[in-house]
Amino acid sequence: MVDGLGKAESGAQIAFLFVSKLLTRLEGRSSLKKLEPCLFAEEGYPIHGDVVEFHGPEGTGKTEMLYHLIVRCILPKAGGGLEVSLLFIDTDFHFDMLRLVTVLEHSLCQSSEELIKQCLGRFFLVTCNSSAQLLLTLYSLENMFCSHPSLCLLMIDSMSAFYWIDRANGGENLSLQEANLRRCVQCLEKLIREYHLALFATTQTIMQKSSNSAESSARLQDEADGDYRPYLCKSWQQLITHRIFFSKPCHPGSAKGFSITSCHVHNNSVVKRPFSISEYGIQF
Amino acid sequence: MILRVGLCLGLTAEMVQQLKDNGVRTVMDLVSSDLEMIARKCSLSYKALVAVRRVLLAQFSSFPVNGADVYEELKSSTAILSTGSKSLDKLLDGGLYTGEVMEFTGSPGSGKTQACLHIAANVSKSLKQGVLYIDSTGGFTATRLLQLLQGRTEAEEGQVEALQRIQVTRVFDAYRLLDVLHEFRSTVAQEVIRASAPVKILVVDSVSAVICPLLGSRQPDGMALMMHVARELKTLAKELGVAVVVTNHVTRDASSGQIKPALGRSWSFVPSSRVLLENGKESCGKTSGCRIASLTKSPRQTTGFSSLNPLLYGSSHSGAALVSSPFVPRLFVRVTNARPRLPTLPWQWSPPLRIVWLAGRARGGAWRPGSASARPGPRPLLSRWLSQSEFGLLWRRTRSGGEEGRRTDP
Repeated sequence: MVDGLGKAESGAQIAFLFVSKLLTRLEGRSSLKKLEPCLFAEEGYPIHGDVVEFHGPEGTGKTEMLYHLIVRCILPKAGGGLEVSLLFIDTDFHFDMLRLVTVLEHSLCQSSEELIKQCLGRFFLVTCNSSAQLLLTLYSLENMFCSHPSLCLLMIDSMSAFYWIDRANGGENLSLQEANLRRCVQCLEKLIREYHLALFATTQTIMQKSSNSAESSARLQDEADGDYRPYLCKSWQQLITHRIFFSKPCHPGSAKGFSITSCHVHNNSVVKRPFSISEYGIQF
Repeated sequence: MILRVGLCLGLTAEMVQQLKDNGVRTVMDLVSSDLEMIARKCSLSYKALVAVRRVLLAQFSSFPVNGADVYEELKSSTAILSTGSKSLDKLLDGGLYTGEVMEFTGSPGSGKTQACLHIAANVSKSLKQGVLYIDSTGGFTATRLLQLLQGRTEAEEGQVEALQRIQVTRVFDAYRLLDVLHEFRSTVAQEVIRASAPVKILVVDSVSAVICPLLGSRQPDGMALMMHVARELKTLAKELGVAVVVTNHVTRDASSGQIKPALGRSWSFVPSSRVLLENGKESCGKTSGCRIASLTKSPRQTTGFSSLNPLLYGSSHSGAALVSSPFVPRLFVRVTNARPRLPTLPWQWSPPLRIVWLAGRARGGAWRPGSASARPGPRPLLSRWLSQSEFGLLWRRTRSGGEEGRRTDP
């Protein structure tokens, strides 16, 4: 890039950023009222600024639930959706576009290729390969949120993807181990606050239940989250406003395979709901 | 990512030094810090810093892609590769999807390697696609592969062609596995591999054999290496459009006693789909050739969580569950990097030899290097080895049976 050109461009960009920031703040993001009432304990919907954590072992439907929410978001208003845009950060190389399209197809009344593409146009995907890349990507997303005022949801699948690699890279020093993630959380906090977003993030149960689990989950003593052990950095734990635990019974063959336990972190309300996953997505 | 000269445009040596003196060493430090303050502290131009930050962000962050574009690209690039077994294909919703990692898990003798060979044979013969087969247990048998191919075609030429499309690599530790995966990625990037048969399937049999030794006492490092392997496999699958097949052992859950895949919880998130292979003695009656495959994880098949789909491998030539023939190495199969990384021992190494590891103490009848006359074979090297061992650890060679008796000699 030529230096002079870069500066001129950056000047124009800054002016543009400022104006669009102002506009988005004035205009406000669309309401997420009808997102999925079954998912939340008290008010029934996430307000802007909420951070929802999906936590559970593998194969309990966390990513599937995200597909469900994505479809609810990108469906047109005529089709019962919210018609808002969202950004999905895939850190696990786990996102399956074909699955999303399958779920989407069955939610549309009449599914034509044209309509599907129209819906998918409201969906943005980023993949990140390391915590450093995640951090830099989060910082670079600011422009994106400015220029797309219809973006009102951010999803990260998953927050814990780099846990072991970061931990080994940091050596013995805990703050060094968590450095990147802490910065990511700072940046997320800023994004969420400034652009009135709601964040959905999954964390994986990668730790065995510790023997003295009584103190670790003293306030969340419920049957489903006895296994819960927060291991990501403290600033992440403080950011969370809703925690949703995913579980499935050990023995196969029961009708309603999965269940969620939804906890509101601040007012301690807890709701437990079973759901099932069919070929066409999640059903409550 | 350490800040250094030449990392990006506009980052001069003077800037790097100034930033370093003020504690800004990495790209992450620079990007997440308050540039106004940094500019004042380092007496650098604010504009220059902003420009560098923008370039760094553009260079190292990944860009959001619109879903419609992803879908468009996926429609043209995704392939579903048939495994050659109808029931297995049905279980996997058509076969192996490129861009995904599939895991076979099962106890020893449940047919994991046979399933891998079966898939390799089918992909190379019927689909005429290349296969990279990474063997970490020595379980790959070329004769068995040939046998499977002979069951598919009579023509020798066809068999040779099919075998030529299969590359076999031996690896015996995780570092070597990572090397091989890197090499594979660079050869594909340089398009060195012949255009006629691009590799569409990557088989790692078994992934637990190289990772299990890493887990244990020095946990974070071993786990990190495991996640590196996982990440490498998944990126290969996505970026090169390859279907990855790995095999894994099983363990029993300590509390419930149920069978679960080995390598722990962190690994359990890695494969997109998982098929559990079991010996079907109870359910199928007498024949030992019967195996049961059940889908335990899948991104699209939803019945899999509970249903067992019997998978009866076919007759001896086209099926997978035949007892493998004795090992005859490298018939037509191109074996690349065939350097086993076994500890090369100074004397001839034969299978019945065992190494007994005694920690800390030598028992009363422990073998002394001095009593050389009592044992067969050359010994000077062994005694050198012994004297080098530290911390009072004693390496001792025993031959099954006879050695034990000799050991107690006064």
